[in-house]
Amino acid sequence: MVSILARRFGYQHLERIEDAVQDALVAAMKKWPFTGEPENARAWLIETAKNRVIDHLRRDGRSETLEAAEEAAAEKIEDAFLSGEIEEDELRMIFACCHPSIPPDARVALTLKTVGGFSVVEIARAFLSNKEAIAKMLTRAKAKLRDQKDIDVPSQQELVNRRDVVLKVLYLMFNEGYAATEGEELVRKDLCFEAIRLVAIVAKHPPARHPKVNALLALFLFQAARLETRIDQNGELLLLEDQDRSQWNKVMLSEGLKQFRLSASGDEVTDYHLEAEIAAVHALSRDFASTDWERIIECYDELQHRQFSPVAELNRIVAIEKLRGPHVALSALESLSKRTDLSRNAIYLLTLGHLLSLKGDRRQAATAFEAALDLSPNQPVRRFLKRRIELLRSA
Amino acid sequence: MPNYMLLLHEQPMDYSQFSPEQIEAVIGEYITWRKKIEADGKYVASDKLKDEGGRLLTGYEGGFRVTDGPYAEAKEVIGGYYTISAADYDEAVDVSKSCPHLKYGGRIELREVESLS
Repeated sequence: MVSILARRFGYQHLERIEDAVQDALVAAMKKWPFTGEPENARAWLIETAKNRVIDHLRRDGRSETLEAAEEAAAEKIEDAFLSGEIEEDELRMIFACCHPSIPPDARVALTLKTVGGFSVVEIARAFLSNKEAIAKMLTRAKAKLRDQKDIDVPSQQELVNRRDVVLKVLYLMFNEGYAATEGEELVRKDLCFEAIRLVAIVAKHPPARHPKVNALLALFLFQAARLETRIDQNGELLLLEDQDRSQWNKVMLSEGLKQFRLSASGDEVTDYHLEAEIAAVHALSRDFASTDWERIIECYDELQHRQFSPVAELNRIVAIEKLRGPHVALSALESLSKRTDLSRNAIYLLTLGHLLSLKGDRRQAATAFEAALDLSPNQPVRRFLKRRIELLRSA
Repeated sequence: MPNYMLLLHEQPMDYSQFSPEQIEAVIGEYITWRKKIEADGKYVASDKLKDEGGRLLTGYEGGFRVTDGPYAEAKEVIGGYYTISAADYDEAVDVSKSCPHLKYGGRIELREVESLS
């Protein structure tokens, strides 16, 4: 709804529009229990919100806002629901929230708030921040948006860069959901599903669509298909090799495959393609033992060749162990730690502990896990580590 | 079968911390409850009272006095009412207790409607 109204009134009124939508919803909440739901509830809400914005603009009294108000008042927004314009409005809104003028760390939050309809409290929880800090960040971001003249989905060269920013923002949104860094929850499905919904909108609509968007969507779907199986009944972390593959979501896997095929239509292989391919290899293996580690390592090699990342290197090393054993993997890990200081990185310590325990160095492995434990605030991860340490120490 | 009136008292609340999705979920709960009592043949009528003030009439020295309000200082207002039909208070309580209003901090005053006969 915010997207639809923002399109009509302009993004400079975003705050007002959000308030109006909120007011309309609260009005409905108070009224409909007694009067019953109107026939077209959504149209009622949007008309109500629209009228509130118009009232505000009229009260504001400046000529250009008055003009916008009268124009909007004359138009029936209901039509937008029928013509499927909503998604296009949302697409515009996504691009607006990921505008280069918005500070990078505010883009995900702004997108969640204005396109996803998340509350400030929910966003604060997702980003381990307090609601005052998030509210302040959003206010600043909206002020930046207000100063922007040209807010539409850009074209040509400009589009290429802007789309990359959008994809990056959605990638971060998904990852934040996929690996909640703190607290009791291991995954936040709502963030993952919102990222999927939004990237699907980008993938669907010209001019934004592009094979790399399909690749990102495929990656999300492959990962999301496994979400439910990453946690057991007691909320404990389950590693890929222990997950029940028959429980992977088949609808998402097949949609992922479809998107993965669509992603091959261009002549460019992006990082998203490579990451999606790694996820596809896992998704398509019948069981853990028959995983095509060779192919996975090739993808990681290519990713690392493009742009070195310590986290991807750690993943690559885990794959190397599957193919060539813990000794080769440990020496790769050693050369990585010489290159980058990872002594305070939980994933590094986790990998180190994992490889040492495979090699049979129980005591050293336990020490590495203990160091990782000190750096992991996520509760399921902590319990997982404690169990491993106990096992290693007990023998 | 007698009628009962459910007067829904509510405290003015700050809804700004609720996300649109959360509010939509609450609306859904009320609508579901309402449809259920309709389907069970218990629903008779309902009305929403407007939020803003109202008038308070008081007898005063042989005449009357009208004041705005009466809610300016009141902590609670009646947001609206339902009339339902039920065999007795037990059944009326049974119908009322599943009303989402209670879940969200509101109070329900339940009164039997006096019939003509």
